[in-house]
Amino acid sequence: MKQFQLKGLMMFCLLLFFISIGGTAASAAVEQRVYDNANLLTSSEIAELEAVAAEHSRKHGTDFLFLTSEEQAPFFIVEYMGDFFDTWAVENGQENAVLLTMNIATRDVYLAGFGTAETTLNNQRVNMVLDRIIPDMQRGDYAGAFRETVTTSSRYMEFRPGVNPENIFFKTWFQLAVALLLGGIVVGSMLYNSGGRVTTTAGTYFDGDNSRVTGKLDQFRNKTVSRRRVPKKSSGGGSGFGGGGVTGGGRSFSGGGRKF
Amino acid sequence: MVIQYKCPNCGSDMAFDSESGHLSCPSCGRQDNIETFPETNILRRFDPEEAKEYHCENCGAVILTEAETTATHCSFCGAPVLLADRLTGDLAPAKVIPFTISKDEAVAAFRKWTKNGRLTPPGFASGDRIKKMTGMYVPFWLYDIDGQADVSALATRVRSYTRGDTIYTETDFYDVRREMDLSYLKVPADASEKMDDELMDKLEPYDYGELKDFKMPYLAGYLAEKYDYDDDALFSRVESKIVPYIDSYISSTISGYSTVSYTNKQILANKKNVYYTLFPVWMVYYDFDNKEHTFAMNGQTGKVVGKPPISAFKVAAWFIGIAASAFAVLKAISFAVGGVLW
Repeated sequence: MKQFQLKGLMMFCLLLFFISIGGTAASAAVEQRVYDNANLLTSSEIAELEAVAAEHSRKHGTDFLFLTSEEQAPFFIVEYMGDFFDTWAVENGQENAVLLTMNIATRDVYLAGFGTAETTLNNQRVNMVLDRIIPDMQRGDYAGAFRETVTTSSRYMEFRPGVNPENIFFKTWFQLAVALLLGGIVVGSMLYNSGGRVTTTAGTYFDGDNSRVTGKLDQFRNKTVSRRRVPKKSSGGGSGFGGGGVTGGGRSFSGGGRKF
Repeated sequence: MVIQYKCPNCGSDMAFDSESGHLSCPSCGRQDNIETFPETNILRRFDPEEAKEYHCENCGAVILTEAETTATHCSFCGAPVLLADRLTGDLAPAKVIPFTISKDEAVAAFRKWTKNGRLTPPGFASGDRIKKMTGMYVPFWLYDIDGQADVSALATRVRSYTRGDTIYTETDFYDVRREMDLSYLKVPADASEKMDDELMDKLEPYDYGELKDFKMPYLAGYLAEKYDYDDDALFSRVESKIVPYIDSYISSTISGYSTVSYTNKQILANKKNVYYTLFPVWMVYYDFDNKEHTFAMNGQTGKVVGKPPISAFKVAAWFIGIAASAFAVLKAISFAVGGVLW
């Protein structure tokens, strides 16, 4: 029992240690992160979004930017976004950014990761963020979708590159459930066995010298074959396009876009 | 008929000694081999009214027994006595496993067991409240079982592969049949009504290397009982005991399939030989919290069975301890892999 308590204490210390080393250095002071050219947000929504974006930007050293437009077709959102960022990066001296671009006229949305965000928010994670915000966009709740973009991207960027942040093993409720289940199973079996265990097995009284298979038949009878299509992963809504690239100014990025 | 073993040296009543495996005299320490014990020193007295009551040869006191008792002590002078007519004829045991654990060893083994109880209340382990320990030979039937099994089954082998954007699942069906001879040796079933079947089953296994032809002196100094159920009455119980063994043997002979569903399963089990055998059991009567708990110990291997009292506090402590450390380990793993704690 004593040994056991000691072990628990060590685990707890380890946990505290892990908690304390989270978080990274602050980013450069960027004043504006929301460029609402299409006037989709109210001024209070913009202020709130600026605050949330600033907070998460400091946390990751990566700026969360929003760009809306209402240009009519023909409109190429990746080019539009690339040009915007080339200018913005030079003006602000910041290469690390997550940029959500949307055009309300053509109903395009494109999420891109520049600099360090190109790996911390790779194409796979971009698509997972899009999966979550597209329903809000379709409802017209742009402020909600933008806030969701910041919090979800920021959350995903905490994970090591390459792992799936939505994996069930990273969910606290799942870990808690496994731990409780394990405790229940172990203590349950201790309780069950407290009165002594049955230790005889099928082999205890088995007489191998006089037990044998005397007749054996394995006859093939028939065969059935069933076919089904490889299931396609359904995209969250609208058609997808993109997958990263390089801007006119030579900045490479990860990304993904949808129609909504 | 009452039997007592008199010491050739001093005339005291001798009892079986589990350490040496000999008859031993408590007064002068003389030890005698059971096989060669002089016939003249075996005191037998036939009592015309023995169906009713027995008399101790030492003191003449009436020996009070239950109808099943075959070995006991004189309640007046304490001399070990055997009730021979309950151990002869149909009632004569064929085999016996003698005690190898003496009373002192049994007490020590039991104390050790209480200390190992991880869920028992603290007082249970520290308190020394053994009220009574009784060494008892419990009657068992040992069955040698001969059997045949004939099983038919429909088995499948499934494999799946992908060609282009189609997943193919191929299922091959097989008719499977197995015929087999089965043999199980000396499967025990306790023949005493008093003894809890589940408790006695948990005491197994005994080491049959120590199985001896029955000789009465093994019983001197212990309690013993005769059987309440004969071998026919208990055969169904033994059958139900070996059916899972047979099932696992059958499934071990059908391998290499994805699924096996039995369409026909015929198992025939016959008893080939039956041995009336006495197994050594220490019964431990233990007082805790004003309640008596009964435990049984295998008199050959020292294995203890019986329901101990359970401490709710300890159960909760173990549960929380295990769950909390498992949670911490999972968190540590997820941090190591994903770099994120919450």
